[in-house]
Amino acid sequence: MAKKMVMAIFSGSVDKLTAAGVVLSGAAAQDYEIDVYVLLMGAYAFKKENVDTNTHMAELQDKKEEFFASLQRLKVPKWIDFFKQAKELTNVKIHICGLAGKIWGGEKLEDFVDIADDIVGIGEYISAAEEADISLFI
Amino acid sequence: MLSQEELKTLEVAKTVDARGTACPGPLLAAKRALAEVPVGGVMEVLSSDEGTTKDIPKWANKMGHEFLGIIEEAGYWRIFMKKMK
Repeated sequence: MAKKMVMAIFSGSVDKLTAAGVVLSGAAAQDYEIDVYVLLMGAYAFKKENVDTNTHMAELQDKKEEFFASLQRLKVPKWIDFFKQAKELTNVKIHICGLAGKIWGGEKLEDFVDIADDIVGIGEYISAAEEADISLFI
Repeated sequence: MLSQEELKTLEVAKTVDARGTACPGPLLAAKRALAEVPVGGVMEVLSSDEGTTKDIPKWANKMGHEFLGIIEEAGYWRIFMKKMK
């Protein structure tokens, strides 16, 4: 049976989302079944209209220019592309927290990026985290 | 593990050129390409990212394949593995 990873993404910042994407890729390469739960600020980043324009950073804001230039130089995919690639490689489900969606004006699944699978309540996250081999909060 | 001479004479079923990409690029490229390799076939991954020389051997063995060895070239590495299932 495949191992399971649960990743809660609270952050809506590109630096943390990129880290999440790298970790997700590692797990996808090892055929983990992955459930991603998008919480509060994360839901901002996963909204359709924000995914290409969001440049918020959680850390080292004064190094933003250097960070983005380095990502480009090193041909690091955009954070959302890590998530898309992981979905192509393994069983990845992306769940948007209902409250988080509403905070950013996202009532329906169509308000979020195409790779989002459903809108869920927090109980699902707790149950999934309880059963997972790896549980991360970013 | 094979010797450098044995690695150089291996018949390779698939070569993945992931040079110029950083971690996790080479690993993802290897994972994707492995689907095109027949069971028992050898895949060669070219990477200019030093971390790959640790990452792919561990990944290959964990996923039940056989890591065969590495040839270091100028500015990149050739990493060989055999698909076992």
